[in-house]
Amino acid sequence: MHNLCIHFVLSQPTRLRNYRFFDINSRHDYFDEYQNHYLTNRIADLSYRPLNTLMLELIAQYGNKVAFSFSVAGNTLKMFQEYCPEMIDSFQKLILAGQTEFVGSTFTNSLASLYDKSTFLEQIHHQEGLLKELFGLHPTSFCNTACIYSDEIGEWLHEADYDTVLTEGARHILGWKHPGFLYCNPYNTNQKLVLRNSSLCNDIEFNFQNQSWDQFPLTAEKYLHFIHSCPKKVPLTNLYFDYEMFGETHRKESGIFDFFKAFCELVANSDDIQMITPSQIESLSLPTATMHAPWAISVSGEEKDTSEWLGNELQQEAFNQLFKLTELYTKSDNEKAKRAWLLLQSADHFNYMGSQWISHPSVKRNFDVYPSPYQAFINFMNVLNDVKLQLEKA
Amino acid sequence: MFGWEFPPHIAGGLGTACYGIAKGLTKNGVEVLFVMPKASGDEDQRIAHIVSADQVEVDPRYSTYFNSNQNIAFIEFNSKLIPYIGMHDYYTLIDQLESNVFEEVSSHRRHYSFAGGYGGNLMQEIDYYAAVAEQLAKTQEFDVIHAHDWHTYKAGIIAKKVSGKPLVVHIHATEFDRSCEGQRNDIVMNIEREGMMAADIVCAVSDLTRNIVINNYHIPANKVITLHNAIEPNKKEVIREKNVPEKVVTFLGRVTFQKGPEYFVETARKILEKDDHVRFVLVGDGDMMSGVIERVAELGISDKFHFTGFLRGEEINKMFGMSDVYVMPSVSEPFGISPLEAMQAAVPVVISKQSGVAEVLHYVIKIDFWDTNAMSDAIYGLLHYPVLSEFISKNGFTEINNLKWEYVGAKLLEIYKMLNKH
Repeated sequence: MHNLCIHFVLSQPTRLRNYRFFDINSRHDYFDEYQNHYLTNRIADLSYRPLNTLMLELIAQYGNKVAFSFSVAGNTLKMFQEYCPEMIDSFQKLILAGQTEFVGSTFTNSLASLYDKSTFLEQIHHQEGLLKELFGLHPTSFCNTACIYSDEIGEWLHEADYDTVLTEGARHILGWKHPGFLYCNPYNTNQKLVLRNSSLCNDIEFNFQNQSWDQFPLTAEKYLHFIHSCPKKVPLTNLYFDYEMFGETHRKESGIFDFFKAFCELVANSDDIQMITPSQIESLSLPTATMHAPWAISVSGEEKDTSEWLGNELQQEAFNQLFKLTELYTKSDNEKAKRAWLLLQSADHFNYMGSQWISHPSVKRNFDVYPSPYQAFINFMNVLNDVKLQLEKA
Repeated sequence: MFGWEFPPHIAGGLGTACYGIAKGLTKNGVEVLFVMPKASGDEDQRIAHIVSADQVEVDPRYSTYFNSNQNIAFIEFNSKLIPYIGMHDYYTLIDQLESNVFEEVSSHRRHYSFAGGYGGNLMQEIDYYAAVAEQLAKTQEFDVIHAHDWHTYKAGIIAKKVSGKPLVVHIHATEFDRSCEGQRNDIVMNIEREGMMAADIVCAVSDLTRNIVINNYHIPANKVITLHNAIEPNKKEVIREKNVPEKVVTFLGRVTFQKGPEYFVETARKILEKDDHVRFVLVGDGDMMSGVIERVAELGISDKFHFTGFLRGEEINKMFGMSDVYVMPSVSEPFGISPLEAMQAAVPVVISKQSGVAEVLHYVIKIDFWDTNAMSDAIYGLLHYPVLSEFISKNGFTEINNLKWEYVGAKLLEIYKMLNKH
């Protein structure tokens, strides 16, 4: 029996407004409420709501033949609460419907795991608190920001009681090994690593509408065939997708929802493949091998490393200046500034400063408000400077 | 090749670009004969064979150029009116206006004498220059005619007519860039259009200019090619030396409508409101100078806002050496070579999106010329976040070292070859 684990990642950044140098030390509203309100609703309409509805329908129809897992960043949940509360209801329904698993994540899609343990654990605790408050649940699996993982991060996660971790099947780490086996942390073999099959994910993410792809058009049967073409002994296929891929990257009109529905029905009706969620993998008692990740890996780009967020000097400077404030954060009791500091850790802010946008500014970036990485950096630093002043005051 | 100026004696970017193009062509094995109105003798003859128009003997009796208009009678009178300059300049110039153009008559053959530059008798000199061009076209061996900016278009057209060789006109600036609506000079625009129409290929220094050529001069798009300028490597290293404790933000350019100096003043005001540890320097001169000075006084920021007037060569390098940020808020800039010079001196640069140079640069901050908020944010960011300005100046330096005239010359050679095939 082959096992299929489908996981959805949902995270929208809390966007900064155009925070001018005039505002430093005089105004402390950093976020663009209009944009955040508008964009959250827009993408909820395009993607989140239809996908949740589809999952609910599938669960209603096929019961335990289907299973899905998802992780939703805390700041995005907060934005749902504020700007589109029916999304919270939608998730509550999914959780009640069963056959789903809510996977743990950082609170603000944070890069804290690349800095140190305490800020990372702080993020995790915030997220756990929020999930408890909203849904009354405690996650047991973990999916870090962009699946960032290393041996060390694994250890920290073990300390936080997460022994199932979702990460990337990075080829430079795996070498010839197949991501469809179960792996574990070499220093703590109880910690299971569930690896994403990036080539199968790319077939949908990049090629679903790519007419020059030799396999175009992708059908449910063809995709199932791809999954079955892996070596016989491989027990797992793990597919992680961004929510936005459904409805935003590939619009409804492209047929992405119909494709996904047909695919799930096909899987539900077949006897040699079953859908599971990450926490169920433990019970399969599969043989495991160790995977040694001395440096952080992630789902990002071809490199599967952290260069998307820390690739150039601007990003590194912003990162260092931001996390230098850890101590101020712990001492301060200015809740508003503390919250802002957490939100500034979001990977998206660092992506906007990336060098890849310098030479290709014309590439349409999803919801990026900055004309160039320089302006992204300046705006971020202006906000950070004020947050610092606020944390110092209190 | 026809061009109105050639280094070392230049008034603006045109001469620099002509030099670069000639040099780039020479590197690609093209022999360049560069005809300018009045050479001073210290031009670099290794780059191109420089012909001074005032040294060429012309017999107007056999000139098609002068005789093609036989049914029109020209009556010349010595007017001091100069096209396309404002009142302000007119009065300053009127004193200097000695008639520089005279003719040495020796039988019918004559040498025309040129003042060069852009003085009062410009239109007349343009005609004489064309007559010289005709003479050269009859006597010289060449494959392609290449004319830079409107002053030389008449020369280019007549040379094409006499020789039958293909004509390339090169647009470094148009009247649409130089002046605002209502102040544009029709005579100049007509010459520009005539030149572009007669040309086999029109080279524009940027996509921005290319669009102006297509949309405002109605030139068929398929013969307009964008050919971005490049920059000469700076041989002298700029020494970073400052004698004021404050940060220095510099504007360098003609103080005219086209260059947007008033936006620089507004930006200065906004930054000084928040941070008075900055000095602003405006380098250059032009017809908006008095207006700008008055505005600075009115805002009460004269203690932090300085005017240097027109600077050259060594002084410019010194100025760059003092600068922490260079700003070019041009309203309409066909290309704009000076940001490249600033980047060569490792000064981080803020330029307007309405400039052609923005099309080739990545390691600069681009803003809309009218958006003084964005401009002040960008400058403030560069002044306060050293990592940013280091990042930009370091990468920008590498970036412009790849903008070589040699590559421009190679592209131009391709165009020449294509023209000679037909």
